[in-house]
Amino acid sequence: MKTPLTAICAALVLIVAALPLTSLAQGVEAARVQETVATARFKKAAPYRVGVAAGYLSNSWVVFCLQHIRYEAARHKEISEVLVTDAGFNPGKQVADIEDLISKNVNLILYWPVDEKAIQPALEKAVVKGIPTVNTGGGFTYSPGTVANAFIDQVVLGDMVARQLFKDMRGKGKIVAMLPIAGTTAAVDQLAALRTAMKEFSQIELLSAEYGDWNRAKAKQITENLLQRHPRIDGVFSPAGQMSIGVAEAFEEAGRLKEVVMSPGDEYNGWLKWVAKHKRGGAVTFPTRVGQEAVRLGLRILNGEPVKRGLAVPSEYISPASITRYVEPTRPDDWWASTLPEEWKPK
Amino acid sequence: MSTEAERPRVRPAAIVSWLNAGWVERSAIWVVLVALLGVAALCSDAFLQPSYLFNMVRQAAPVGVAAIGVTLVMVMGGVDLSVGAVISLAAVVAAVLMDGQAGNIGYALAATLTIGAAIGFANGVLIAWNRGSPFILTLGTAVAVYGLTQIYSGGTARGIVAPGFREFFNERIGGLVPVLALLFLAAATIAALVQRTTRFGRSLYLVGSNPRAARLAGLRAARLTVTTYTLSGLLAALGGIALLARSGVSSTFAGRGFEFDALAAVVLGGTTFEGGRGGVGGTVAGLLVLFVAFNLVNILGLNYNVQRLVAGVIIIVASAAYTYLTSRRLTESRLWPSHHTSEGAP
Repeated sequence: MKTPLTAICAALVLIVAALPLTSLAQGVEAARVQETVATARFKKAAPYRVGVAAGYLSNSWVVFCLQHIRYEAARHKEISEVLVTDAGFNPGKQVADIEDLISKNVNLILYWPVDEKAIQPALEKAVVKGIPTVNTGGGFTYSPGTVANAFIDQVVLGDMVARQLFKDMRGKGKIVAMLPIAGTTAAVDQLAALRTAMKEFSQIELLSAEYGDWNRAKAKQITENLLQRHPRIDGVFSPAGQMSIGVAEAFEEAGRLKEVVMSPGDEYNGWLKWVAKHKRGGAVTFPTRVGQEAVRLGLRILNGEPVKRGLAVPSEYISPASITRYVEPTRPDDWWASTLPEEWKPK
Repeated sequence: MSTEAERPRVRPAAIVSWLNAGWVERSAIWVVLVALLGVAALCSDAFLQPSYLFNMVRQAAPVGVAAIGVTLVMVMGGVDLSVGAVISLAAVVAAVLMDGQAGNIGYALAATLTIGAAIGFANGVLIAWNRGSPFILTLGTAVAVYGLTQIYSGGTARGIVAPGFREFFNERIGGLVPVLALLFLAAATIAALVQRTTRFGRSLYLVGSNPRAARLAGLRAARLTVTTYTLSGLLAALGGIALLARSGVSSTFAGRGFEFDALAAVVLGGTTFEGGRGGVGGTVAGLLVLFVAFNLVNILGLNYNVQRLVAGVIIIVASAAYTYLTSRRLTESRLWPSHHTSEGAP
């Protein structure tokens, strides 16, 4: 009898100990974001050559982000050239791309990784040679190879989406979650944010968390099965608009769209069209202008100005009533609402 | 005491006749499919609903249409790894050419199919006259076509699907059968008929099972190769159109991984990499086994990683059951060689 009792006590102690540890980890992350980086060693005289080591260029969000980089670079006379490499989802190639950019004597490297750990040695090499590196996009990285980050906080985004959904559901009901690729920072952070927000809404029940891989057809197929499995679904947590459309279509085809509250998606044009048509859902932005912010951050480093380790580009909520200001009905679905001037939008 | 040679005589005559007729061998994958559907129906009554089953066929249509072309190629002894890339390119091209205008649908579909056929033709020509490995050559084509799609699209899936296009393909006839599912079943039926009843179909088996004999018999293997790969490209483009109809938006990598889904369905259905065996019917059953497995684990609400584990196990068990059933037939045929017919040939 004694042994099980000891085991239970030990487990309880571990659980209790783990709770403050989680908070501690979040606190450490927040402190790291706010950490000031001394940049004097990176100070250089213009003109600057900016290198962009893209992990991939084959999705529309990234294409818009790159256009923001090009647009911002064009606004600064001190930037003479922007060199872009595309690793095509190959970490090995991205390492080679970064080494190529170093050998081409670029003054600043902006990057988004295929595999963060795989490219760290190459990034560290750049930093040692006095080339600052700026992680550009969805996640925050804390390592010697990354001087600063221009990022979008997925936890904050997930929290905003969850709270808006719960508000629209009047704080109660059964929900399903449609998340990106399992194991990615986006999927992990969004689910964590959802679960944390649910602690304040005791009448919200998560029926199932699924992974639609940012794929409209897959999200639709999964939802078709969810609809078979659950006779009642009151709400859908889906921060990615690309998947939200697939989910909504499955509900619509099953004749069950009226029963469900869709969460805000992002500013993916196909989703914005859906919101404009159905006047529900809204959007929490995943701003493509993070590319512009990365260029500005890089220039401050090259000027030797101290910067914060992390520059979070805030997400904003767009209500269904305001969506018409963002949707572009004559553009393709695979398009993003952005602040880019018309001539800088992808052709 | 009965001897080894006498043992068959003590078996019930009906069973012996049934085995000797080759029914089990030819239909093994269908037996597996029915058994799997039975298990699925025990787990969820969704698998007893015709609308759900037809929806599953609709889900399978994009891969399925492409898998038909891959089957013909593999029966001939080749392989086509470029179908996933062609599906992606076809979905993007069709959407761009439609440009949101209903009047453009016919032209867009014709042009897309032509492009798919042209890529298949190029594959066929390279393989027939270069005599390189179809595996490497079509892999190279896949890489090149993905690159072409990126250049053409600039990384965003340009193009707007015309009104009426998706509505037509997703319409349920009699409120039950989606047009897209019918399209797939019609394509499979036509291909099965071509494979069984035409000289072209029979030639595929001959070239696949014994290329040298086929050449000596006067078959123009090069022409056959080009025609078959062209058909595969054409059907992959049709798969891309089906994907566009199902999802409504193309992505530049929409078909990535479909080549392996198609290969899995074809091989599970009894068509081998050596050629000369199998056929479209088996591929349809193999494809449905894959989709029943994936939908079953999904509908059971298992944890995502458990879903992958269970789906993998179902596919392995299905494959093992298929192998067991067909090898039983092979054992029987060794016992009674006079009854042995060419495996899987029409």
